Amino acid sequence: MAKMRSDRLKIVFVLCLAFVSIGGQHFESKVAQLLRDESEDIKCFVEVKDLTCFWEEERNSLPDQYTFTYSYENKIKDCVVSSLSLLASNKTVFFCKLPKTPFFTTLDVKVSRDRRMLYSRSLNAENFMFLDPPRNLTVLSSGKEGQLNVSWLPPLLKYMDDSMIYEVRYAEEGSNMGKVEVIKVSTMLVLLGLQSDTRYKVWVRVKPDGVAYKGYWSAWTEPVLGVTQPSELDPLIMLLVLFIGLILCLLSMTVILSHQKFLLKKLWPDIPTPERKFPGLFTVYKGDFKEWMSQNNSSMWGRSVHVFTEELPSPLEVLSEVSLSSHGTSQREERKPVEEDEEKESERSDSGLPDRWREPPQAHWLMEQLRTLQENPQPLSQSLLPQSHDTYVTLNQNSQGDGVREVDDVFEETLPLQTLFTTAGTPSLNTSHSDLGSLQQSSGSGRLSSQSSFEYPNHTWPPKGPGYAYMAVADSGVSMDYSPMSSSRIVELGRHRMYTNDYKNEIFLHKWPLSGEHTKSGSDFCMGPIW
Amino acid sequence: MFHGSGLFAVLLMVLEWTRPGLSSPLRPICDLRVLDHFIKEAWDAEAAMRACKDACSIATNFTVPLTRVDFDVWEAMNIEEKAQEVQSGLHVLNEAIGSLQASNQSYVLQSHVDASISNIASIRQVLRSVSIPEYVPPASGGEDEETQKVSSISELFQVHSNFLRGKVRHLLASAPVCKQGVS
Repeated sequence: MAKMRSDRLKIVFVLCLAFVSIGGQHFESKVAQLLRDESEDIKCFVEVKDLTCFWEEERNSLPDQYTFTYSYENKIKDCVVSSLSLLASNKTVFFCKLPKTPFFTTLDVKVSRDRRMLYSRSLNAENFMFLDPPRNLTVLSSGKEGQLNVSWLPPLLKYMDDSMIYEVRYAEEGSNMGKVEVIKVSTMLVLLGLQSDTRYKVWVRVKPDGVAYKGYWSAWTEPVLGVTQPSELDPLIMLLVLFIGLILCLLSMTVILSHQKFLLKKLWPDIPTPERKFPGLFTVYKGDFKEWMSQNNSSMWGRSVHVFTEELPSPLEVLSEVSLSSHGTSQREERKPVEEDEEKESERSDSGLPDRWREPPQAHWLMEQLRTLQENPQPLSQSLLPQSHDTYVTLNQNSQGDGVREVDDVFEETLPLQTLFTTAGTPSLNTSHSDLGSLQQSSGSGRLSSQSSFEYPNHTWPPKGPGYAYMAVADSGVSMDYSPMSSSRIVELGRHRMYTNDYKNEIFLHKWPLSGEHTKSGSDFCMGPIW
Repeated sequence: MFHGSGLFAVLLMVLEWTRPGLSSPLRPICDLRVLDHFIKEAWDAEAAMRACKDACSIATNFTVPLTRVDFDVWEAMNIEEKAQEVQSGLHVLNEAIGSLQASNQSYVLQSHVDASISNIASIRQVLRSVSIPEYVPPASGGEDEETQKVSSISELFQVHSNFLRGKVRHLLASAPVCKQGVS
């Protein structure tokens, strides 16, 4: 029995010590804080129910030297002075704790030493409440994203439960930037607008609301950690998005179906078929055009014009028809006038002879001439000099460099050229042979010169009338001009890159006697470079 | 006969409409925020009187109630004692402030005086609503113990504020009618 009692006493003693020490910690911390923040000589605060006033003095002083008195409502009372050593700041304070603190009345406090008043102060005790921090702070994540539920208990104080104001401070773990929320009376708070899946630290402190009681902010509680929920896709938002997407799809489908034909026509246009123009061709005659034509000859003829392509018919003028008795055929040659401008490059390589050129039936005669020339080559320069103003030919750009290339066509060009000039020297122009030869050569040269391609699709030499022996053909590219010239033009093979194919044919003079008169004037119209 | 009954009916109607006599019981006002409103106005008056020194100085003494609250003593008192203390104090305060109404003072002072008088009347209504016994004038000779003297208007309003914040508020907080609803 005695042993049990002693044990109980020990337990009670230990608990009391613990309680006092905890209370003392609070007391010391409050004293330390006010010592830092309060500027008055006598610093006072109320802890729970009793007012404590303290002041800082030199270390050598003793508490007994001081007299602490307080008066209210015409009553004067004394208080026992005690000393306290603050371990943290290494300071000593003297304090007095009023045993029965009168509230809601004016207190006059005085501190004197050796009957000499040191400090005095007039205050109302209820205005200096210094509460303990809130208890049992808990932080829980709410069911929603970015929210935390914070709750706590007010400090133990009897009369002030409904007149307390709280301050909640929260910050991300590891961050110093915190936010503060103020809340009155209520002891729980929902923090909003937080980041999801993040750890937060939360602190709380309390103060009287200032209506009935006033005081200092309490110390912050120990921080409590809370974790917010990870972000999730809100099912409502997902449903709404799906719903709206479905509605949009339906609308677009409706629009597409209602304008199906129009859209198909735009995206997948029908290949035009000529069935409309040829009624019955494909259905009745199954594509047999002959049959169809024979049946619908009269009625369809008028319409055929529309069927043809939109190309304008190119004016074609036959310059000459030479009936060659020895060769027995009259040729109808198409010659394309060729024009060239020195300013413009005609670098287009000879792409070969146009297909429209017919093989002259006198090819073998031409070859004989070529062979003759080959055996007796004459200097080119002589041959090139215009001995007559009547006939000369300018050759294309392939004839470059030193003169005669090894290209056969160039060689072919040169040989007939020589032949041309020789025949031009004869006064008589009526020799059929020469004419023929020249014609042949001209044809050849014309053929050859037609190799040169020039880029003047739109520039055609307009026909000047029957007196002008030239032919103008308006087509895509090549144009040749055979206008007779009287002016001297130096044409040298291989000397210039650009040539004007100004072909002048005696035959033209022969054919159109007036052409001689026109030659001079015609030469004025000759195009091409004048060297 | 007919005239008598008709007159009687009219009289009943009129009486019912005016409702003379004792007023019907009020709904209990247990919310302390109502009293806090009056306390805030008392704070404003005290601050205004403290600032107004020259215009608000009157060389007269006021008899005011004691405002001190000792919690140990207070907790030991019963509700009737508390009620008596509060009601008598309100009475004294009302008289002291009311004495200023007669004198020609500045507009600021007059407004605060009028507000305080009105507030005291409202507080009496609030106490009545929570069934606090009305003020009973004590037998002669008992007033001096519970009163004190002040010499300035600022002190008067300071007492006014302290009284409301202390005794009146704690009385209302501990009203049995209000505690029954909470527990």
